[in-house]
Amino acid sequence: MDNVLEVRNLSKSFPGFQLKDVSFTLPKGYIMGLIGPNGSGKTTTIKLILNMLRRDGGAVKILGMDNIADEKAVKEELAVVFDSNYFCGDWTVAQTETAVSGFYKKWNAERFHQLLKRFGIDPAKKVKDLSRGMQMKLMLACAFSYGAKLLILDEPTSGLDPVSRDELLTVLSEYIEDGERSVLFSTHITGDLERAADYITYINCGSLFFTGGKDEFVDSFRIVKGGLNDLTGELRKRLIGLRTHPTGFEALMRTEELENLRRTGRGGRMAGGTAADDLTVEPATIDEIVVFTSKTGTF
Amino acid sequence: MNETLKAARLDFFLLRPYWKTICFSIAVPLVYTSVARSLVSGISFAMCMLGIISSYTFAVSEKNGMERLYGVLPVARRHLVFGRYLLIGLMGFLALVFSLISHMAVLRALAETVEVWEIATSAVMGILGYTVYVVFQVPGYYKFGTVGGKMFQFIPVTGYLLTLLLLPRVDPDSPVLAAVLGQPALLIAAVVLLCVLAYLASVGISVRILRNKEI
Repeated sequence: MDNVLEVRNLSKSFPGFQLKDVSFTLPKGYIMGLIGPNGSGKTTTIKLILNMLRRDGGAVKILGMDNIADEKAVKEELAVVFDSNYFCGDWTVAQTETAVSGFYKKWNAERFHQLLKRFGIDPAKKVKDLSRGMQMKLMLACAFSYGAKLLILDEPTSGLDPVSRDELLTVLSEYIEDGERSVLFSTHITGDLERAADYITYINCGSLFFTGGKDEFVDSFRIVKGGLNDLTGELRKRLIGLRTHPTGFEALMRTEELENLRRTGRGGRMAGGTAADDLTVEPATIDEIVVFTSKTGTF
Repeated sequence: MNETLKAARLDFFLLRPYWKTICFSIAVPLVYTSVARSLVSGISFAMCMLGIISSYTFAVSEKNGMERLYGVLPVARRHLVFGRYLLIGLMGFLALVFSLISHMAVLRALAETVEVWEIATSAVMGILGYTVYVVFQVPGYYKFGTVGGKMFQFIPVTGYLLTLLLLPRVDPDSPVLAAVLGQPALLIAAVVLLCVLAYLASVGISVRILRNKEI
């Protein structure tokens, strides 16, 4: 079995929001970024994976097991870090271990204390007295102490300073080193994914826009810039999230479309006179892809 | 059962930072007993206080956003409910035993005579009162939380006030009371049966609520 996580046609309706037929797979030994703007359905997807919300349709398999029928076995192999602390603030770090460790058959106290030492967390300190970054590290220390095969992070870097974010990404890279463990990493800080993710799943307005390799995702788009004179009706149809300003325009364009444009007659000149070679074309970042596609809600 | 114990243990850890408040709440009724010189009303007051405390596990987990932790732990939701009832029930039992002993000691120190029927009535009233408080409160907290279900916190106080209102109307020489107390085995069996049935119904409702709850 090569996939740690398989999500098939996952659906859930709320008043005013619908997650529609989301499907993706996460192979063993990789990090997948789950991206999308706020309210796009990332947390809903994660909560459905964790069976914290009841799905309306679809299926979720974790390590080949159904996330509902085999919930207990699944959660033994699953670790989750949310954007904020979920332990009792009045517990000390040591008490947190005592309270939680009993639930996991494979809890490794030695590993937990090694991680505390590495992260610089004082076991005698109360959880509420830890900084946000330290609380996140405590959740990670717990997550890493029972040999979970899949780590799910729901916007863990929001509110963290750049140093803590960098540390987290280093820890995640180490976590998947053995090729047996995987990470699903939901975030809207896509800069983190440029560095860490191997795969991207992009959800917008409750629908799946893309799932696949990160490089494939980034290579699928280009930022196109030009003067206002270049902006013909034909070109407009091909642009995603067009932004105009007094001196010109910028937009996202599918690389495929751009290639087609270049291949069309008269050196890529379209009806109206714009040639692909007249435009400035730059590689797109994940952030730019998300921003431009979110503007139109289309892909 | 193992999972239930783990869940009860987790809840115990939730209450651990508040043990001083809990001890204080159980001790306060001693003052009342020393003033009122009535074991029955003192024990009823103590169980009312503990009934109020039964919301603590809900309040603490709600305050800390711990529903996410419960959603992540490898334990079935029904065991979380069983564990919570187990801890609340155990706390009630220990508080009742402590209260009976300490309140009797206070009354003895005040040179008051404590009759056997008073001890039996106090225990029965304490158990029944606490059961009523718990079986109605807990499903309410599961459904609405401690903030949304604030009204459920009034159940123990209402119950206690009703006890105070009705207690003076009970004639200690009543033949009905004499008949009931004259059959202690039957009385204990009836109380136990009533409490078990009430707890079973309450646990069933709470499991159903939590199973359908979206976190």
